[in-house]
Amino acid sequence: MERKTLRRWNNAIHRDLGYFFFGMTIIYALSGIILNHFKSGDFVHPDFSKKYEQLTVALPANAVADKAYALRVLKQVHEEKHFKSFITGNGYIDIFFNNGSLYVDLTNGKAELETKTPRYILKEFNLLHYNSIKKGFTWFSDAYAVAMVLLAITGLFILRGRNGIKWRGAVLALIGIIIPALIIIFYA
Amino acid sequence: MIKKLFLFILPCVFIAASCNQGPKVAETTKADTVTMAVKSFIDSAGKHVEKPVRIEGTVLHTCKHGGKRMFLADGSDSITVEVTTGANIAKFDESLIGSRVKLLGVLKEERVDAKYLNEWEAQVKKDAADHTTGLHTATKGHEDQGAKETLDQINSLRDDLKKSGKNHLSFYSIEAISFSVLK
Repeated sequence: MERKTLRRWNNAIHRDLGYFFFGMTIIYALSGIILNHFKSGDFVHPDFSKKYEQLTVALPANAVADKAYALRVLKQVHEEKHFKSFITGNGYIDIFFNNGSLYVDLTNGKAELETKTPRYILKEFNLLHYNSIKKGFTWFSDAYAVAMVLLAITGLFILRGRNGIKWRGAVLALIGIIIPALIIIFYA
Repeated sequence: MIKKLFLFILPCVFIAASCNQGPKVAETTKADTVTMAVKSFIDSAGKHVEKPVRIEGTVLHTCKHGGKRMFLADGSDSITVEVTTGANIAKFDESLIGSRVKLLGVLKEERVDAKYLNEWEAQVKKDAADHTTGLHTATKGHEDQGAKETLDQINSLRDDLKKSGKNHLSFYSIEAISFSVLK
C-alpha cells in the first residue's frame, strides 16, 4: 500500500475511534481519578462523600436502646423524620437514616454522626469502571481497550517530520514508558 | 463507501453483543426454595448448601470496593449473613445500608482449611492492599484493616480450626439472584 494511503487510513482510524470512544474516555478518566484517590486513602468512599461529626447524646433510660430511644437521639441531630432502622451490638446502637447513620456508644453517650452525599454521575461512571454490570459491557469495554491501543499506535504517526515520531514523538514516548518502568523497578 | 459501512456496522455489532448476554440462571421452583432467618442462619446453613434460599434482613454494611457484597443483620449484630452479587445484580449500593431487604439467592459454602490460611497469610505478607483475598466481615473498618489486623484474624481462625477438631471451617454466604427493598 502507498505511504499516502497508509497515512490516510492511520489518521481516519485515529479520528473515528477518537470520536466513537470520546464518551468512554471521559467516563474512565473521571472515574479513574476518583478510584485512584480512593485507593490512595484520600477519601473514604468512591461513590459518596462523607462527613463525620462527634457529639454526645443522652443515654437511654433503664439502659434499653429501642426504637423510641433511636428516634429521640435522631431528633437531636434533626434527622428523626428520615429514620430507617437500628441495630444493637455489644455496648452500642447504630441508628440508620436516609443518607447517614448515628453510632452511639452506650457506655458513655459519645456518638459519631455520619452523613453522606452521593457523587451523582460519578457513581454511575464508577459502576462502569468496575464493570459491575458485566454481561455485554465486558465486550464493549474490551473493545474500548483495543481501541485505546489502536489510538496510541496510530497517534504516533499522525504528524510528519521532526514533530512526529522521528524526533519529538520518539523522545516523549520513551519518557512516557521510562517513568512507569522506574516506578515498577523501585516500588514494586 | 467501505468506511461508511464500517462506521455503521461497528456500533450495531456492539449493541447486539450487549443484548441477552450473561449466564443463564437456573430456574428455581417455589418447592425448592427454603426460607431462612438471619438469627438461625448459622445453625441451619449447612443443610442447604447450593440450594435456593429466601431471607430477609437489615443491610448492615456494603462493600465499598465495587459493592460486590453486603451483610444482613436482624435487630442485633450477633449474627450477620454475607450476601454476594450474582450474575443479575450489578452491585449493592451504599444507600441500602439501614434498609430492610428480602432476597432470593443460592447458599454457598466456603471451606477454610490450614492450606487456605497459609496461602492467605503468605498473600498478606506479600501485598497488604489486596481486598479480594481472605474472609470478609461486617465489622466496622474491616476494609481498612492493615496487615497486622489481618494476620491476627488468620491466627484467630487457626485457633478456631484447632478447637473444632475438623480439618476445615465452613463459612456460608448467599449469592443473590434478586432482591427488593421492603418499605
